[in-house]
Amino acid sequence: MLSIKNLHASVEEKNIIKGLNLDIKPGEVHAIMGPNGAGKSTLGYVLSGRDGYEVSEGEATLNGKDLLDLEVEERAREGLFLAFQYPVEIPGVSNMEFMKESVNAMREERGEEPLTAAEFLKKAKAACKQVQLPLDFLKRGVNEGFSGGEKKRNEIMQMILLEPKLCILDESDSGLDVDALQVVADGVNSQRSSERSFIVVTHYQRLLDYIKPDFVHILADGKIVKSGDASLALEVEKNGYAFLGKEYQGEEA
Amino acid sequence: MSQWLNEVIDSASDVNDFLAPARQAALADLKNEGWPARRNESWRFTPLTPIEKRTAVAAKTVANAEIPAIDNLNAIDLVFVDGVLATELSSIEVPEGMAIIALNTSDSAAQSSITDMFGSVKPARHLFGRVNDALSTQGVFIDVNADTKVDTPIRIINIATQNVDAHSRVLVNVQANASAVIIEQSVGNVDSLTTAFAEYSIADDAHLEHYRFAMVTGSAKQLGGSHFKLHNRSTLNSTVVGYGSELSRLDVDIHHAGEFADAKMNAIYLLAEGELFDLHSTIEHAMPNGTTEENARGIVGDKARAVFNGRIHIHRDAQKTLAELNNRNLLLSRRGVINTKPELEIYADDVKCAHGATVAEIEEEALYYLLTRGVSRSKALVMLNFGFIQELINDVPNEAIKTWLLPVLSERFSHMEVK
Repeated sequence: MLSIKNLHASVEEKNIIKGLNLDIKPGEVHAIMGPNGAGKSTLGYVLSGRDGYEVSEGEATLNGKDLLDLEVEERAREGLFLAFQYPVEIPGVSNMEFMKESVNAMREERGEEPLTAAEFLKKAKAACKQVQLPLDFLKRGVNEGFSGGEKKRNEIMQMILLEPKLCILDESDSGLDVDALQVVADGVNSQRSSERSFIVVTHYQRLLDYIKPDFVHILADGKIVKSGDASLALEVEKNGYAFLGKEYQGEEA
Repeated sequence: MSQWLNEVIDSASDVNDFLAPARQAALADLKNEGWPARRNESWRFTPLTPIEKRTAVAAKTVANAEIPAIDNLNAIDLVFVDGVLATELSSIEVPEGMAIIALNTSDSAAQSSITDMFGSVKPARHLFGRVNDALSTQGVFIDVNADTKVDTPIRIINIATQNVDAHSRVLVNVQANASAVIIEQSVGNVDSLTTAFAEYSIADDAHLEHYRFAMVTGSAKQLGGSHFKLHNRSTLNSTVVGYGSELSRLDVDIHHAGEFADAKMNAIYLLAEGELFDLHSTIEHAMPNGTTEENARGIVGDKARAVFNGRIHIHRDAQKTLAELNNRNLLLSRRGVINTKPELEIYADDVKCAHGATVAEIEEEALYYLLTRGVSRSKALVMLNFGFIQELINDVPNEAIKTWLLPVLSERFSHMEVK
């Protein structure tokens, strides 16, 4: 599914990702943990193609396609989905208008007919219900005035509608209470399948109680320094990142 | 002095028609004032260099030109090709309750009405307005009878097809308690110069729905104006759309000459490449209890330049005036320029007057967010940035025009370069 080899990337000429390797097979859930400043969010931005994130070395392919060669929207149409840590508020563009455009862009990519307004509305209502967002959120401006938890649920709703192949969840648990966390996790779990893979970026082991990972990686100073199964997350929870040694502990925000 | 202006003055001396006294006065002004200095406030952001050394060429008749279509508008079209009224392209039928008379009429009653109106609304201050005063032997006078509601739109089209100087004049007299729909449209992209000025007198209790589509592009140069005089309880609803060209300048004056008049104007400009569009708006409240609401919104891409000068002048007697003028701009490119300038002069103490101007840039983060969901770049830009233009399009009272304008403008916008 996703193959990252020796990836180096920088932001404003500062090297953040420094030789990262990661291989993800269909259906797998990989958790990425690590201290602040390790490059966890940067990885999502680099893979999605955000402006200003420069790749200087290495490669990243999604189902054999060179991701780094594609525009942001083309990567999305290839099936890459990034759930934002801080979803952007866009007043003046309704959630509904945005998602309809988006879903139909994906359908066009797959050679399918665009959904009619009625067909789309039916799907959108179901997705809205699944993440427990009131239906009037569809009519509101994208994330406009949403609470932190509502924004995160809105991200999961988009994921459900867009049916991506690879989902990167960037701290989808941050700022959520237990109930909201359960809703987000249920949404994610409902989408797990043998065809779809996940990268779950998180600070806390807590989320991994709800979304069980197949692998846990520790990202420090721009590369993966340790990999293991779910027990690695428990170890981090208990002992922190002390085992990394001083040079890897990063800056606490 | 500019070569072009010298030639204009020479050719104007030969014009000898029933409007001679008005033309001579304009000519005297042109000789006195001469070519504006570079620091002249009125032309500060709009250099006249493309015209300064131009060779003046008299208007000539051509056989044919393509009329820009607006589906389902069902208008009476009055077509000026390269400055000459092309009767074979124009509609001959005149709706009941109004008269449409060519400016070179030989009818003495009509001549007298035209003489009365010519220059009675348009202020004399504008250089190119004065050139138009001196040379506009082509044009039309539209007279709407009192108590008559004419629904059929009258569209006056200026088409530039070759390198000539075209000067046309429109005079519209909407008599008491009458109403009319008038569209002024100009198109063309060839090297040419058009001065197109219109004067509207809206009598007591009358209504005018007005459109000005200044859509010349490329090296077509256009200097024009729409000038309105509002009498007691009259109403004006005007929509202006501006494209930019090598030099495109439009002056809109709204003069409240009566009490309780109400004016609303929306202006949209979309500029690409190296285009220039300059909109000078002047609102004169000379009488009490008038209202004016003006919204000008524009998007500037690439190396284009927009100039917006919004003046509100509230005279001492114009108590209880309500005047609002708002200018919003979106700059798509670092190389684009927007010069927006408010001018407020208020001499009455019991008025409400608001003036605002903003310039915004593309929100990169919002754009990135939409792109990560697979939305195409051009669609994302339209979604993010076209909304504030669309609001003004939705305000257009005529359905056929609204339906035509939305795709035309969003198409133009989607090709504008973001840099």
